[in-house]
Amino acid sequence: MNRPVYIADCGLLCARGNSGKAVANALWDGEHASSTCQVGKRSFPYFSLPLDAPDWLTRAEQAVRQVAGQLGPLASDTPLFIASSSFQIGLFEEQGAVFEMPLPSASFSRQIAEWLAFSGLCSSVSNACISGFSAIDAARNLIAAGQIDEAVVFGFELANRSTLAGFAAMELLSGNVCRPFDARRDGLVLGEAVAAIRLTAHPTRWRIAGLGTGLDAWSATGPDPSGGPIARVTVDALNEANFKATDIELIKLQAAGSPSTDLAEANALHKVFGQHMPPLLSLKPALGHTLGASGIAELATLIACLNDDRIPATAGFARADPEIALFPLVDRSNLHIERALLNLVGFGGGLATLIIERQP
Amino acid sequence: MIYLNAALSQHFGPTELPAAVRTALGKPLRRTTALTQLALTGALACLPKDRRSMPTALLWQSTRGLREETRQLLNAVCDAVAEPMPYDFLASQPALAAVQIQPYLPGLQTATHFPLDRAEHTQWALLISLASHWLKAGRHAQVLCAHLDVHEGVCSGHWLSLSAQPLENSPASIHLNLTTEASVCPDTPEFPHRLTSWLNTAAVPGLYLQSPAAPRLAVEFVRI
Repeated sequence: MNRPVYIADCGLLCARGNSGKAVANALWDGEHASSTCQVGKRSFPYFSLPLDAPDWLTRAEQAVRQVAGQLGPLASDTPLFIASSSFQIGLFEEQGAVFEMPLPSASFSRQIAEWLAFSGLCSSVSNACISGFSAIDAARNLIAAGQIDEAVVFGFELANRSTLAGFAAMELLSGNVCRPFDARRDGLVLGEAVAAIRLTAHPTRWRIAGLGTGLDAWSATGPDPSGGPIARVTVDALNEANFKATDIELIKLQAAGSPSTDLAEANALHKVFGQHMPPLLSLKPALGHTLGASGIAELATLIACLNDDRIPATAGFARADPEIALFPLVDRSNLHIERALLNLVGFGGGLATLIIERQP
Repeated sequence: MIYLNAALSQHFGPTELPAAVRTALGKPLRRTTALTQLALTGALACLPKDRRSMPTALLWQSTRGLREETRQLLNAVCDAVAEPMPYDFLASQPALAAVQIQPYLPGLQTATHFPLDRAEHTQWALLISLASHWLKAGRHAQVLCAHLDVHEGVCSGHWLSLSAQPLENSPASIHLNLTTEASVCPDTPEFPHRLTSWLNTAAVPGLYLQSPAAPRLAVEFVRI
């Protein structure tokens, strides 16, 4: 059996709002303001969730319940896949030494399942920034094979000092603003997000047409600048979808404003799309880079935009980099998109490309 | 149907793992965690030299994950008077493990890490199901499934090597089923050890693996 797999519902909570519709509206209006966070004596921009809970666990529960509530009624035995790079490390930080860490490293996934009143298969994926698409890949394969009929895939990333300290120590963070593909780009701006999608074997408006994952072993902190490995994963996804490069009408970039990763992604796009470059969009200047949640959060955001035929402009891009020679959308548009491609390029060498296609 | 090519379990004491890595590579593997060294040692033990360049996927699960490394990070972050510099923790991230072992497994195309949420239960059935779909779709020539863990200094690695086509000495075929026989093997870390025991001694032709949390993900092994 090899059934098509569809995206039935999306739930979203990020710095721009608490539903796909709200986030799409905010992006259409050009909103991209961020707050700040402190790492030692340094201050960085940061995209925080609009939650007022007093402690980490209550905040996490609020976020999960808000997002799950957007998915509609769900059977208690719905398989659950949770993508995160940090899980509950923020809770451990809040509790302080001696750090009462449960034995299983993903024990927090059981807490999420309990909040959702789910009792079926629960699986966790932690593949840094590509966690979301890796989790979708697992869930959609089981649906395609007829082993399950639907699944909920959660992306979960809440603020914590450990992640910020890591990225700050590697000098990967911008002190100003996220500028994807821009000549002045100087690093990432991190953020929080909790998002979910419900995958199903029953036809809906959007089908998962292709999904490829891969590895880039160039270095621990950055991809091969030639973009070769990223291009191979993109081609894998196109081949699975049985699409030509010219069939793609919009690309949701990884483009987080990283000097090296943006260049590698651009070179990969040149290799695959050549002179037929589709319109390019980066969501990270408005949402932040939400790491393990970014795949699900950006997919949910993009679908909300595409459903209304409202493609936002890419905030933060103004001055083209001649080495990149690509130009994200600077004007919002009402393009009607049938097929969109989404890229993820992860810390540690993970790569993923997802292609979605609108159904008649 | 896919095929089992190897099932093995490895255990190393605190000082034994680096020595095993040196034996496997002919040199030490520097600036890597025990989990990465375990992954490399097991992968090389599963795959003969002539198969290390073939398109390969790695699906690995872990119960404790980077427990000690995370504890050290939390100490550094929460006790720091200055800005913490958690380079060692970053170097230990699961996403990096595959990148660090790819030079020795040139065919490694992708890797996915499944941290576990229960102490006693694993997700072999899920990993084998995914491997089966990927192999049937032609995404990879072989898939390695593993459970890697470090507990009180003892490093344990349990491995299955799977492929779409049988090798000369493949001991079993693997079939995905929606229902199973009454008697099933529990989905626990040491399942490959139980599988090896069955291959070596059992008279019954088939072995079933099934997780209580995922009853529709049942896997049947049939001796060849």
